[in-house]
Amino acid sequence: MQRLPAWLAALPRWRMSRDDLRGYGYALLGVAGASLAIALVGKIGHVANISLLYLLVVLWLAAWVGRGPAILASVLAFLAYDFLFIPPLLRFTVDDPTEWLSLIALLVTSLVTGQLASAVRDRAREALQSQQRTATLYGVAQLIASATDQGSLFDDLTQRMLKVFSPSGVTGVAILLPGQGIYPVVRALAADPEADAERDALHLTSQSYAAEAAWALEHSETVGDTIAHTLSRADMPTPKSAPVENLIYYIPLTSRQHTVGLLAITGKPAIRTLLSPRTSPAAGSSGASALFAACCDQVALAIDRAILQQQAIHAEALDESNQLKDVFLGSVTHDLRTPLASIKAAVTSLLGADVKWSESERREFLESIDESADRLNRLVGNLLDISRQEAGVATPEKDWYLIGDVIATVLDRLELAGQLQGREVLVDVADDVPLVPMDHTQIEQVLTNLLENALKYSPADRPVRVSAALTAEPERELEVRVKDEGVGVPANELHAIFDKFYRVHDVHLPWASDRPPTGTGLGLAISDNIIRAHEGRIWAESTPGKGSTFIFRLPIPEETPRGALPDIVPDAEETTTVAEAEEAPHAER
Amino acid sequence: MPNDEIAADALPDTPGAGQATGGGKVRVLVIDDEPEIRRAVQLGLASGEFAVAWAPNGQRGLEMVAQWHPDIVLLDLSLPDMDGIEVTRALRSWSAVPIIILSVRSGDTDKITALELGADDYLTKPFSMGELRARISVALRHAAHAATGGAGDDARFTTGGLALDFARRQVLVDEREVHLTPTEYEVLKYLAMHAGQVVTHRTLLRAVWGPDYEDEAHYLRVFIGQLRRKIEPEPGRPRYLLTEPGIGYRLRAPK
Repeated sequence: MQRLPAWLAALPRWRMSRDDLRGYGYALLGVAGASLAIALVGKIGHVANISLLYLLVVLWLAAWVGRGPAILASVLAFLAYDFLFIPPLLRFTVDDPTEWLSLIALLVTSLVTGQLASAVRDRAREALQSQQRTATLYGVAQLIASATDQGSLFDDLTQRMLKVFSPSGVTGVAILLPGQGIYPVVRALAADPEADAERDALHLTSQSYAAEAAWALEHSETVGDTIAHTLSRADMPTPKSAPVENLIYYIPLTSRQHTVGLLAITGKPAIRTLLSPRTSPAAGSSGASALFAACCDQVALAIDRAILQQQAIHAEALDESNQLKDVFLGSVTHDLRTPLASIKAAVTSLLGADVKWSESERREFLESIDESADRLNRLVGNLLDISRQEAGVATPEKDWYLIGDVIATVLDRLELAGQLQGREVLVDVADDVPLVPMDHTQIEQVLTNLLENALKYSPADRPVRVSAALTAEPERELEVRVKDEGVGVPANELHAIFDKFYRVHDVHLPWASDRPPTGTGLGLAISDNIIRAHEGRIWAESTPGKGSTFIFRLPIPEETPRGALPDIVPDAEETTTVAEAEEAPHAER
Repeated sequence: MPNDEIAADALPDTPGAGQATGGGKVRVLVIDDEPEIRRAVQLGLASGEFAVAWAPNGQRGLEMVAQWHPDIVLLDLSLPDMDGIEVTRALRSWSAVPIIILSVRSGDTDKITALELGADDYLTKPFSMGELRARISVALRHAAHAATGGAGDDARFTTGGLALDFARRQVLVDEREVHLTPTEYEVLKYLAMHAGQVVTHRTLLRAVWGPDYEDEAHYLRVFIGQLRRKIEPEPGRPRYLLTEPGIGYRLRAPK
């Protein structure tokens, strides 16, 4: 593979196409036909200016075939008329000098007619192309303007460009954007189904393609290369046109004086003509190349717009996270400092040598230290949990559990932590609740949060109820409800309470008038994250003044374990020991 | 068992070992890199009946078990040189000293590994001194029981209103006999023999059903649920057969 200089690659190569040859063939046939017609007419009688038949042929060629064949036909007509019909016949000489006049007139007229006709034809073609170009550009602009999703926009753009330029020989189009490293990354790609080598090249599969793309991006210059057709697949026959080397071009896309990305195209050698105005303005812009340039500009605009959008989103996110951090720091600082302050106060009091504390006073200090330590422990645990959840490392480690066990564990723990203090907690777990997949630590935490809230926000003489049951078919989910008869939550805050750091405003607990309830505003946010991670949902219902119910549901898979542990073979002997039980034959599963 | 003076002399440089004197004291070795934990344990336990020594890493801990012969080891799971699991494995290859694991996270799976490797119990930091003392005394009781080879084995186990009569294979709840299947009885008996200690799912499954059933913890949960309906006055709030979340079960120790 060698890198072609851009200007060389872009030069039109002089080669006669099959279409051109066919045009010149028509010219030959047309002139021969006209000569035959003139000869036949001449047999019947003399017709003045019969040579005008040649003009018809030239006119037809100029209008429908091309300028070259028309010129050829003009010259051929001049020669044929001289040779065949002007005495001396079958010679290129002319006896009567006046015949020269008619011969020259024929030549000039046919040349001029041909020129005029082909000029009209060109203009018509240009008008058509310009209309197509406008339509294409309009389509591209429409695509960009209506795009909601950038990924699909770039895909659509490459598809559209492939479709528009495949008549020009393009077999693949890709949009490359600057990547993290030095090599650009492929953002979108469209290629003909058969163009495997081209697709690979556009994917920058080989180091050299990637290097070329990187160079084009860095220097903002078009780079072209040939595509090596490695026929690695044994089952693929060598294409008959194997010697034709296909090309790949990396074209820099600029918007607002910045290179925002690359457009890569692959295809037949003819695609070099698409690039001519960009690389050599003198080469005369064909319609297709102008259209191509316009499309490149549109793609550049689209990329630029995407970049700006990204920046705007990023700025917004940054702003939001800054605000969040402020709230977070404010809240956390307060919540961390308060228990620390009370511990410090109690401890320095106890350490102080100058005061003799009574036994009950000492006990009060110590209890305060104990409570504050528990509070700190809870807060630190919550903070760790929420940061783990936000870092995405708190995925549930599920196993099959009975919700009743989890509820009992949570109640034990609350009891141990002195949070129940004789409160009545009524548990009702339906008998048909099966094993449910869950991360027991996380679900314990959700239940702990809900129960702590229920206990905190309801008076000591009112019970808290925990119930678990299956919802009706067809959902068949596990539904757990924690219901209190406390102050309740205002309807407009029922959603917000699941937000991080949100605390219900102006809570007044009539039974504890001395101080407002403490809390971190994290418990429900953590619970919400956990239940979501379990693909369930959590919500609250409340009648202010009467109480609240917090409900969460967990999905139950179709396939639940339905087996059971077998009965071991009973051993009737009185001296059964565990060791013997271990050696007892086990029932087959 | 060497007496305390010799042990202390043999370890003149042992941090904290200087206080490990006095006849009849329970020797507690704390293997934890946090000096604050050692201090807290020392303050909490050194009320006349305990002698506390401290090792700041696993290697030192193993050496001190060999030289000082503690009665019980409190082992932190995360140590600077080797983790608690390795220490447990190394210790169990030549010592039967009771080990209580100290861990900072409740959902720690390492702790289960350590328990299955032969550690006796675990505590999640932060813990109260009351809990620590209770766990130490349970572990010591079991160690003493094992040391006498089960001799003097009581024919009867009682915790609260739950009683097992091993000779008659009878289970009584509040003096009323309840009928258990042989399997249920074996499970309860195994737990009773380790009363007060945590028994992991795997250990219990292996002991009663055999190694093929080791991974059937979820069925064990269903099974235990049925057992609780027979022996617990309030199956939804078990008082005797307690769940150690994610780890296993614990039958309440007799008071």
